Amino acid sequence: MNVTAPSEAILEVEAAASPAATFDIDSLFRARFDRVARVVARVVRDPARAEELAVEAFVRLWRTPQAHTPQAEAWLYRTAVRLGLDELRRQTRRERYEGLLALVRRNPTPEQLHATTEEQTRVRAVLTSLPARQAELLLLRSQDLSYRELAAALHIHPASLGTFLARAQNSFRKEYTKRYGHQ
Amino acid sequence: MDTNNRALPQPAAFESDSWIDQRIAVLAPSEAWQPNVASGQSLLRKQVNAARSRGPRHWSWVTVFAAVAAAVIVAFALTAAPTPRVLAQRCVDCSIAIWQSISPAAPAQQNLTPTDKRVPAPDFTLTDAEGKSIRLSDAKGKVVLVNFWATWCGGCQVEIPWFRDLYATYKSAGLDAIGISMDDDGWTSVRPYLKEKPIPYTIVIGNESTAKLFKVSAMPVTILIDRQGEIAVTHTGLVTKSTYESEIQSLLK
Repeated sequence: MNVTAPSEAILEVEAAASPAATFDIDSLFRARFDRVARVVARVVRDPARAEELAVEAFVRLWRTPQAHTPQAEAWLYRTAVRLGLDELRRQTRRERYEGLLALVRRNPTPEQLHATTEEQTRVRAVLTSLPARQAELLLLRSQDLSYRELAAALHIHPASLGTFLARAQNSFRKEYTKRYGHQ
Repeated sequence: MDTNNRALPQPAAFESDSWIDQRIAVLAPSEAWQPNVASGQSLLRKQVNAARSRGPRHWSWVTVFAAVAAAVIVAFALTAAPTPRVLAQRCVDCSIAIWQSISPAAPAQQNLTPTDKRVPAPDFTLTDAEGKSIRLSDAKGKVVLVNFWATWCGGCQVEIPWFRDLYATYKSAGLDAIGISMDDDGWTSVRPYLKEKPIPYTIVIGNESTAKLFKVSAMPVTILIDRQGEIAVTHTGLVTKSTYESEIQSLLK
């Protein structure tokens, strides 16, 4: 995994009270929006919704002066993944309730059918059932975040990250096998 | 030394778990999909400008005060406000007071069945609050007032104070009284009621079969049984205190 240097050129971060005055959100957005939106699109099925949630992650970063550190990018990815997982849980819940009320059940659009494979549905279902931090770690790990950035983003001591990841992988495997058998 | 900047060894578990990697990889969006940076940026600007115009978000003293006041009111409402049962009881008490104030002092009437046409009262055994068995036949030789009532029955609440007085007055002359509560939850309702409004005569919890014995279809129902154990009169619904008093006096003679 690549260890990328914090984007100091992009983040004009100063410890100041007003986020708007000192934090160059526009530059960061132009440089990282594509990547953040792709992170969210991994979790959320609808690409347009993924873009909205990616914007929301940037807005939250801008509003949170405590996150304006060299690790801001990791914070941003974690927030994006968390927003995506929350959205996915909401969708799952809504579908479950709509399933109970056959009258208001909405059929998936052709775009949704095309965009979602069975395997994606399974993986998303397993991720929503895992503890939030474990799902976040598994998703963030698939990004090119450094080991150090990952640990910082999840507030885990770097020395514990390996154990934490092994636990997350184990939970994923167990849950997947429980639901769908050995694939 | 800043341990965070040190090149950290990758633990074995971190290296790869290809099976899981493959699973997670299926979630990757199509390479053909390009997030729309321009519309995203426009949305971001809109939200940032909206946040700027709102100013920094912080709790004002007014908000804190309003929240604390609301919490105090809710806490008070939950702890000090009367329960639905108490409220219902107050409504019943209020209607009783109104009924008593507007009802005319009706002349005493006697509805006693002639002695030769009376039928023996069916016997029953029920238990009182202490678990003691109460049999109707044990009171033979006395005039017995049997009252079917319930804590939720408004008319019963009107009558019970009358029976309390009549029992106190005529107990020594040979009057006995048994109140049969028809509350579905039995002592759960009756015990708190008796604690609040003690009744000097015997109270037992009734059941369907007892109600059938006396053909109780509505409440209150009050039966007067003479000294021979025969039903002298059955009153369904409210009658006046003077009617009861007159009938009891006749039966005690």
